[in-house]
Amino acid sequence: MKHGLFLIALCISALTGISACGNSEEKEEGEEAATPAVYGKIKEVQIDPTVNPEMAKKGEKIFGVICKACHKYDERYVGPALGAVTKRRTPVYIMNMILDTETMIQKDDTARCLLQVYLTKMPNTNVNETDARNVLEHLRDIGQSR
Amino acid sequence: MTTRAPYSTVLLLAVVLALAGGCTSKKNASVASGAAEAVYVAPGEYDEFYAFMSGGFSGQMSVYGLPSGRLFRVIPVFSQDPEKGWGYTEETVPMLNTSHGFIPWDDAHHPELSQTDGIPDGRWIFINGNNTPRLARIDLTTFRTAEILELPNSAGNHASPFTTMNTEYVVAGTRFSIPMFDKQDVPIASYKENFKGTLSFVKIDPASGGMSIAFQILMPGFDYDLAHAGKDNSHGWMFFSCYNSEKANSMLEVEASQNDKDYIAAINWKKAEEYLAQGKAKEMPARYAHNTYSDKTHSATSVMLDKVKVLNPADCPGMVYLIPAPKSPHGCDVDPTGEFIVAGGKLAAVIPVFSFSKLRKAIEEKAFDGEIDGLPVMKYDAVIAGEVQKPGLGPLHTEFDGEGNAYTSMFVSSEIVKWSLKDFTVLDRVPTYYSIGHLMIPGGDSKKPWGKYVVALNKITKDRYLPTGPELTQSAQLYDITGDRMKLLSDFPTIGEPHYAQAIPASIIRDKSVRFFPITENRHPYVSMGEQDTRVERKGNEVHVWMTTIRSHFKPDMIEGVKVGDVVFFHVTNLEQDWDVPHGFAIKGAATSELLIMPGETCTARWTPLQAGVFPMYCSDFCSALHQEMQGYVRVSPAGSSVKLTSNGLKQQN
Repeated sequence: MKHGLFLIALCISALTGISACGNSEEKEEGEEAATPAVYGKIKEVQIDPTVNPEMAKKGEKIFGVICKACHKYDERYVGPALGAVTKRRTPVYIMNMILDTETMIQKDDTARCLLQVYLTKMPNTNVNETDARNVLEHLRDIGQSR
Repeated sequence: MTTRAPYSTVLLLAVVLALAGGCTSKKNASVASGAAEAVYVAPGEYDEFYAFMSGGFSGQMSVYGLPSGRLFRVIPVFSQDPEKGWGYTEETVPMLNTSHGFIPWDDAHHPELSQTDGIPDGRWIFINGNNTPRLARIDLTTFRTAEILELPNSAGNHASPFTTMNTEYVVAGTRFSIPMFDKQDVPIASYKENFKGTLSFVKIDPASGGMSIAFQILMPGFDYDLAHAGKDNSHGWMFFSCYNSEKANSMLEVEASQNDKDYIAAINWKKAEEYLAQGKAKEMPARYAHNTYSDKTHSATSVMLDKVKVLNPADCPGMVYLIPAPKSPHGCDVDPTGEFIVAGGKLAAVIPVFSFSKLRKAIEEKAFDGEIDGLPVMKYDAVIAGEVQKPGLGPLHTEFDGEGNAYTSMFVSSEIVKWSLKDFTVLDRVPTYYSIGHLMIPGGDSKKPWGKYVVALNKITKDRYLPTGPELTQSAQLYDITGDRMKLLSDFPTIGEPHYAQAIPASIIRDKSVRFFPITENRHPYVSMGEQDTRVERKGNEVHVWMTTIRSHFKPDMIEGVKVGDVVFFHVTNLEQDWDVPHGFAIKGAATSELLIMPGETCTARWTPLQAGVFPMYCSDFCSALHQEMQGYVRVSPAGSSVKLTSNGLKQQN
């Protein structure tokens, strides 16, 4: 079954000619994320240089209930490891992946490419914007030491 | 529904079909032209009405769309439903508790929507359990049974659950009279002396919908059949049809059809409230279950109650009057203005229409024709507004279109008869296939009917569908009633036996549907708030598993250390927070059903493995591309084995 699905994914990527996927994955390792087109409903996120510990703490709780079922900090699980996600993705991208998942998976190149790797669509989590912002703060917090 | 272009194909098809076969054209001779277009709801479009049909002897309620006749959901109410885990999960088993213990089945007859100012408001729908007398309330934001109340001093809760104008009360009249209170073990032949009926008035909490028996009225030993509340001028009154005024206790088909007239019992419930406030009710010992389901704890609780207030009409003058009605009346229907009370005397040659204003006047003038068991009997001529002459055979039940017309089902002659409330003359008649029982117009028993369709709820289908062995499908039929003549539009199958039904514009309910339960508000005692809470714990021979689901895995998915003789409780929390993503949970050898866990909900399966081995478990409701990968194992070792209890290699926490 898994092999089958993987083959299908390979075929799809071959047919649709998304050869950029490999490149974009490479990009995420090192370079600062470029400013890609914004597809999700969040267009701007206000970020303070220092992490707000109170928000981060609230975010950690939400992360535990909602996100941890599929994401670990330092290793791949159902979805990608998120411990250092703030180093490779913009706050707007992260907020949109949480709040507007379907649009991102359909339209955003990076999100589309990640689906080909992980094969499980990230479900809608229906968290509100405040909770999503707190999760982002938590990810910024843990990202500092990574 | 509104664009015309796509219908051309359908119409063409209908024409071709009509021309094609002599056999179809003969049976469908009465189908109106344009019928296919009228009931066609294009793919992806919505129906105009929700229809709620009783599931009859399935004990459930079904939800259809009108005009399409498409089935959307079967709501489990009084019977176990393994598809949804209803009555199998630890959380829902208490919903089916009664004073007779756990009762997994009932016979559900009459759905009734809650009303505000006499108009269906789409908050709740009630339905009666006929066999082990119960009353259920279904929440129309979740389309789930939220509450079940057993009825003491009742046997066959048939005259139920009809609501007053503002859902102050939902009533429950007993079909069977029985011996009650301190004298229950008596010879059946002592019926006339010892058997009584009760009419229960169940108070509905206006905010929560919570049900409690405010009072019961002790009545003569008749059979109580159906009811409807007054409206506007007649608000404050409830009317019950009753038969077996002969008080027969055997061969009722002969013995209970002797009298020329039976009765409509007119109850002044505002008066009853006054007597209740004056302390005229006697508090009687009783035993009945009250079961409630919480969307916060995702669990039901069952409480056994031990007393009920009973009003005896002998102590309460002016509370109950008997109106003579011809021959074993069934339907007891009040028109939208509240002035007319229509009795469907199923053996009667006419349909009697009683006038509420005449009833008031006759009561003032004491136009009585004797009394029965101390209850005044009204003079027929003093309260009758008119009779519909030659309506057909076997008038059963009447609904209204809000345009001054009434529609009565005719069981024996298999037809719907439309007649005028102005002069009580017959305007139109149309055949039904076959033996119509109740009928239903959306809002047709309320102050404001949406009089576009009438649905016939038939008892016999005979040759209408492809045969399926000895048991044939149950059936409803949809008719257009917007013109002068009623037009048959379609047949559609139903579940159980459709007794009564209700319908309401979809717009009133649709947008209130709950999509998922917020996980952060889950107060289930065994919730796992995220995967980090998942674990296994042993308490004696009980093993509790805190488990989560999300597309597409269980956590934990490897459990070891269960022993033969253990009882395992899988408390499964669905962490999904999106619409239409339930997960299932099934384990080999389970003597219960699957779990079907809604997003944000926790459900518990009890599992008693009888042999050692490794048992697979899996998700039974397709959830994602990797649904088939959503599985796990439980290892069961012999009793006395030293295998440690672990989940995914981690030992139990305490």
